[in-house]
Amino acid sequence: MTQENRSDHPQGRPPEGDSRLTRTEVQLRGPFLLFFISSVIWLLAASVLAVIVSLEQGSLSGGPFRDCEMLTYGHVAAAQHNLFVYGWGFNAFFALNLWLLSQLGRFELRNGWLATLGGVFWNLALTYGVVQIFAGNQTGFSLLEFPREVGPVLAVAFLLAGFWPIVAFARRPTGHTFASQWFVVGASFAFPLTYLMAQLLILWQPASGVVQSIAHSWFVSNLLLLWFGSSALAAVYYFLPKVLGRTISGYYLAPVAFWSFVLFAGWTGPAALIGAPVPLWLQSVGVVAGAMLIIPVIIIAINFHGTLSTEGGWSRAWNDTTLRFVSFGAVAFTLFGVLNAVFSFRGPNAVVRFTSFAAGQEQLLTYAFATMVLFGAAYFILPRLTGSLWPSAKLIHVHFWSTALGAVASIVALLVGGWENGKQLADTTVSFQQIAKTGSTWNTVLSVSTVLLLVGHVAFALNAFGMILKSSAPASAGRHD
Amino acid sequence: MKNLNALLAGIFLAVAMPFGALVISSQVQLGPLGRAPAEEGGPLFPSLEPGLAIRGRAVYVSLGCVSCHTQQVRPAGQGSDIARGYGVRASVARDYVQQMPVLLGERRIGPDLANYGAPASKIDIDALLRDPASSGAAWHPYYSYLYGRSADGKSIVPSERAVALVAYLKSLRQDYSSPEANLKQ
Repeated sequence: MTQENRSDHPQGRPPEGDSRLTRTEVQLRGPFLLFFISSVIWLLAASVLAVIVSLEQGSLSGGPFRDCEMLTYGHVAAAQHNLFVYGWGFNAFFALNLWLLSQLGRFELRNGWLATLGGVFWNLALTYGVVQIFAGNQTGFSLLEFPREVGPVLAVAFLLAGFWPIVAFARRPTGHTFASQWFVVGASFAFPLTYLMAQLLILWQPASGVVQSIAHSWFVSNLLLLWFGSSALAAVYYFLPKVLGRTISGYYLAPVAFWSFVLFAGWTGPAALIGAPVPLWLQSVGVVAGAMLIIPVIIIAINFHGTLSTEGGWSRAWNDTTLRFVSFGAVAFTLFGVLNAVFSFRGPNAVVRFTSFAAGQEQLLTYAFATMVLFGAAYFILPRLTGSLWPSAKLIHVHFWSTALGAVASIVALLVGGWENGKQLADTTVSFQQIAKTGSTWNTVLSVSTVLLLVGHVAFALNAFGMILKSSAPASAGRHD
Repeated sequence: MKNLNALLAGIFLAVAMPFGALVISSQVQLGPLGRAPAEEGGPLFPSLEPGLAIRGRAVYVSLGCVSCHTQQVRPAGQGSDIARGYGVRASVARDYVQQMPVLLGERRIGPDLANYGAPASKIDIDALLRDPASSGAAWHPYYSYLYGRSADGKSIVPSERAVALVAYLKSLRQDYSSPEANLKQ
């Protein structure tokens, strides 16, 4: 472990801030709250839609919406997925990344109105895109379902709202950098590149035949790993040492983790196309990259779990709201990495292909990891920015237990249900009717889990919005840790 | 790790290299593919798509059918697609050269549709879409809003979209030989 030097070059530990609301935080407050409030509203909308999706999936032919074209399964599922990813995931990480970089780089957000403008554009484009999906105007490519005119607006909005961490990195007053900064800069730079190229080759100047699917697989893996993954990893690298007050274990390995993660992530896409009518060499590249991704996952596990495993770290994490969520996410990331490596190989992949297993892996990454880390971050940041306490400790408990149980239940339902489904699909003596019947048990678990998640999100929203509304303190008011 | 330019250059390469190697090189390899005969002088496959089927694909995309149905048959040894009767051979890239967009799909909540229009398929698609439960597919969503009643109210009339969608589904087939998948061998 490297020596800690708090004054100039703190290694493995973010710099200490003072106890008062700093000028940088005052400047951040407006854009941060815009992104945060938008993200929570979208999360609630996505959660309601998730309940409808799971109910419709459990009994597609029945239910109150069976004659309503707007709420047909193909519309609601696509709208829910996009709202969760672009509404919740992006807005929340815009807020968190901005805050992280300003803390780590002492960045003063001048011209914050540009970020606000970006946030407004982003949310208007998102609203338009979702309305269009409900109206039946979608593209057929997962996570690129919005009509193509939405793409350029989202790209410009991203540059206005999500590019600030790079500016903050460039303007930091000290030479030292911390792992969180690399991951945030990676996420903020990789996403717009990926999004623009995917838009071009899939929607504006579509590539030939199945190359569209190859480009799509590349886009989805980059979106999930380089945006959600990198941004959430940055947060864990920040909050673990910050709240525990110690250095990251094996921090000297963090640069290897960062570069290996960024380098391998972009090649993993074709693992989602094993068995598809695409060149075999391409599928093999996806398998190898998926397996190689275990290298950063192991290093990151050493960093995170090593830090949590010393000096009663786990028990302290359990007793601290932020760390409870963040360490839940850290464990989920390790599980995701291991599953991703194992199920990149052809044998296991052939079993779970076309089942809910992939959705389970995505849920593990985007919810159990990224979303839980975002919740933890909110519990740390909001009291500082609003100068208020969380109104209800009970709601915090409800939030944690509902989301933790809901996340575990949904992931088990999707993964185990997917595995069972895959085994049955491989057995030609089992008819589709029988498969649908077996799947209904897991659909029930999934439906219960979506209700649990909704309850948790409502509790979080009530607490957070109550706190923001209650906050009438001037920006220079003291904060509490 | 302190130099922003070096950091951005590294990230750019990490994004651009897979893009070039996976996407651009695939375009170079597969881009020139077109309709071709399995043997010299034979008919060109895949067949040209009827205009109605092209309109039907737009309905398929609009309703989000791709969220539950795949259109790809994996080779023997990777799943049991052929044994399950989804096709007589594995799908190949040439099968998709006319499709815009390509709808390979990622989930099979319903069966694969790559050969849904093959002659062996005898399903009454209109009945299935209108009333899935009566057609033995209780898990399938209702698309009864694609159908109306005739002026006298005695018979059910498919809308233009339903006609196009059914034409599209009936056009789906990969049961021909192509240079990469010769059924005679």
